[in-house]
Amino acid sequence: MKVVVDQGKCVGAGQCVLAADDVFDQRDDDGLVDLLDASPPAERLADVRHAAAVCPASAIAVSE
Amino acid sequence: MSIDAERLKLPLARPNVLDLAPLYEVLRREAPIAPVTTPAGDPAWLVTRYEEVRLLLGDKRFGRSHPEPEKASRISTAAVQDGPTGEYATEEADHTRMRRLLTPAFSAKRMRMLGDNMEELVDACIDQLIAEHSSTGVADLHHGLAFPLPVAMICRLLGVPEEDNEKFASLSERMAGTEIGEEAHQAREEFFRYMVGLVESKRGALGEDVISDLVRAQSEDPSFDYVEMVRLCVGLLFAGHETTVNRIGLGVLFLLTDRSRWDALVADPDGRVDAVVEEVMRLGAPGDLGLLRYAREDVDIAGVTIKAGDALVLSTNAANRDASVYSEAEEFNPDRPERTHLGFGHGAHFCIGASLARTELRVVFAALAKRLPSMRLAKDLDSLQVRATLTGGVAELPITWR
Repeated sequence: MKVVVDQGKCVGAGQCVLAADDVFDQRDDDGLVDLLDASPPAERLADVRHAAAVCPASAIAVSE
Repeated sequence: MSIDAERLKLPLARPNVLDLAPLYEVLRREAPIAPVTTPAGDPAWLVTRYEEVRLLLGDKRFGRSHPEPEKASRISTAAVQDGPTGEYATEEADHTRMRRLLTPAFSAKRMRMLGDNMEELVDACIDQLIAEHSSTGVADLHHGLAFPLPVAMICRLLGVPEEDNEKFASLSERMAGTEIGEEAHQAREEFFRYMVGLVESKRGALGEDVISDLVRAQSEDPSFDYVEMVRLCVGLLFAGHETTVNRIGLGVLFLLTDRSRWDALVADPDGRVDAVVEEVMRLGAPGDLGLLRYAREDVDIAGVTIKAGDALVLSTNAANRDASVYSEAEEFNPDRPERTHLGFGHGAHFCIGASLARTELRVVFAALAKRLPSMRLAKDLDSLQVRATLTGGVAELPITWR
């Protein structure tokens, strides 16, 4: 699985951190998304997909 | 737009504090973007279907400002979400700056770190409720928990003295008042003056809190207007009062009006509370209007033409019960497969306090299930006093645990 985030679109909602905190975090200085793992293991797919779906800024792209 | 005689008048009367007007179901199906008259008597579009509400919330052709604010449709007589806000020309840049300033202080990680602190506060509130009402066994959860917890948390985050609590609680309530006419706007002025006093008293000794951060940022950035900064502080303190407080109340009512819902949570508080919180966020419908936007250009959507400058009321309440998105949409079911909702909005204005609210709601519902498993309502749902404010909710939450 490959995950791409767009910090230009990110509004710092933190929804992705709640969905998968092993894959996403928020940077301390501006609260924007910090991608911890750009190729998470396949068993994390459901949560990562959920993170992408609930992102209010559509700033997360996931491909298998 | 159709002729005025056909226009619906907002608000659509609801049967009780938990359910919505049945007409919303018809609107979603037949007129997802419908011409309406606002409570203030002006024209607007009411958007009720999930797909369009989500789309419009994420579309930059719709904003909170208006090129000619004096000509814009007014929504209500309350002093919040009543009309356009911000500068039309610089709205997006101003909003982006505001988000960048505030987001770190409300991040998911920071809010989680507040969790232990919240648990202690909630336990202390419940201890006090039990001790003070042990003779009657009846207590008001609104005054004993739903109100004090969010207020204490927002005061600590913002750096507002908790002893001023009664003053700004009353100001918040009046600002959101829908049945007090001009007094709502007087309250907004008073709140502004209170905040100017607080900002100036903090300026000499800035600390590690959000208002101090904003004062620092404003003094360093000549394009950051002082009045805008003070309004933002008022907005944050207001939001800390009028949102989670109501959501706790609505959640307790959803859980206690059907015993099986409460029993399921009591059986496994830590395992079930997250799903319960999300369902309370989806189905809880405070207030009778929605999120306000103004079109920045002409837009054709869902069979209607929205003209530049038109007002839109985006009913997240109605969208969150859309049967084309949710199975048995009106049912309270934390186990439902659909995991998303618009309870915190969507797009650039997504609730900045969402992680704070979620943390508070989790702590509250888990603690209640553990500490007061035999809790039930001490009054009928229909006899509870409902607040006449834009943000809705109940004014009392009498419960008993014997």
